[in-house]
Amino acid sequence: MVISYFSPSWFRGVDIMLEFSFFLISLLITLFAYKIYKETSNRSVKYFWIGFLFISIGNFILTIFNFLIILNPSNLIFDIVVTTINDSQVTFLELLGLYSHIISMIIGLSFLVYTTLKDKNTKTLILIIILSLTGTLLNDNNLYMFYLFSTILLGFILWHYIMNFIRNKKIETLLVTIAFVFLFFGNFHFLIAVNHEVFYVIGHTLEFFAYLLILGNLLLIRRK
Amino acid sequence: MKKKRERLEIIKDILIAIRDKGNNVKPTHILYRSNLSHKMLKEYLKELLEKSLVEENFDKKNNITYSITPKGANYIDDFKAIKSFMESYGLD
Repeated sequence: MVISYFSPSWFRGVDIMLEFSFFLISLLITLFAYKIYKETSNRSVKYFWIGFLFISIGNFILTIFNFLIILNPSNLIFDIVVTTINDSQVTFLELLGLYSHIISMIIGLSFLVYTTLKDKNTKTLILIIILSLTGTLLNDNNLYMFYLFSTILLGFILWHYIMNFIRNKKIETLLVTIAFVFLFFGNFHFLIAVNHEVFYVIGHTLEFFAYLLILGNLLLIRRK
Repeated sequence: MKKKRERLEIIKDILIAIRDKGNNVKPTHILYRSNLSHKMLKEYLKELLEKSLVEENFDKKNNITYSITPKGANYIDDFKAIKSFMESYGLD
């Protein structure tokens, strides 16, 4: 297995701070959605808050994982700009972190896809999770397949939010749609980042704007 | 043409109808205030009971009455935020 960590040297540390902000914002969404669920007992909201919980756990693990990589000097021996880690140098903790991040994010996104399907059969959710996880994990390049599968899942979610905006043209639906456009393209950039470090920065920046919009939307809702 | 009332709105209207009438009302009063068919109201009341937004009581003549629960009261207070949140993400 090959794990690539393509962060430009000047961006190291900034990416970790951004990832930590993704964690905080997704946690806020989780807590708010959970509050709504407690008040409404709505089925879609239940799957939505569980989905965001997994995403916030995934973001937290990613923060810790990247922090560990920077802390471990043996990971930085190849190149100052681009760090490639092969099996022999990956510690158990780093591997655990990477797999936990992948699994949490795939499960979280699968839950979000499920809320967009309006399907009441939970077997559909289980099928999405199993297909995405096996496709990602049973492959030599887990990270690349993870970004590929999460881009596909985000594409489905984005499609739903675009249709939702067309049906209901409001500032809140617009913010969510733009946020998921950024998330989608940000994730897509990570696919290319496997070959180029600039895309790693662009991916993080797009994701940052996406989470800012999600936070802005949450603040708008809370003011009501 | 007037837009069809949404599900969240109907639930709020039923809860407000119960609250405004002393929080202990007969189904006929809810039917009158909520502007729903008998069949629809029955379905909504079943859902509200399942979600613990209302509770069923019996008066002295053993007739069924309904009152809102603290959860139902919170729903009314946070209705705008709930509606806005669910609309934002297309949840229903």
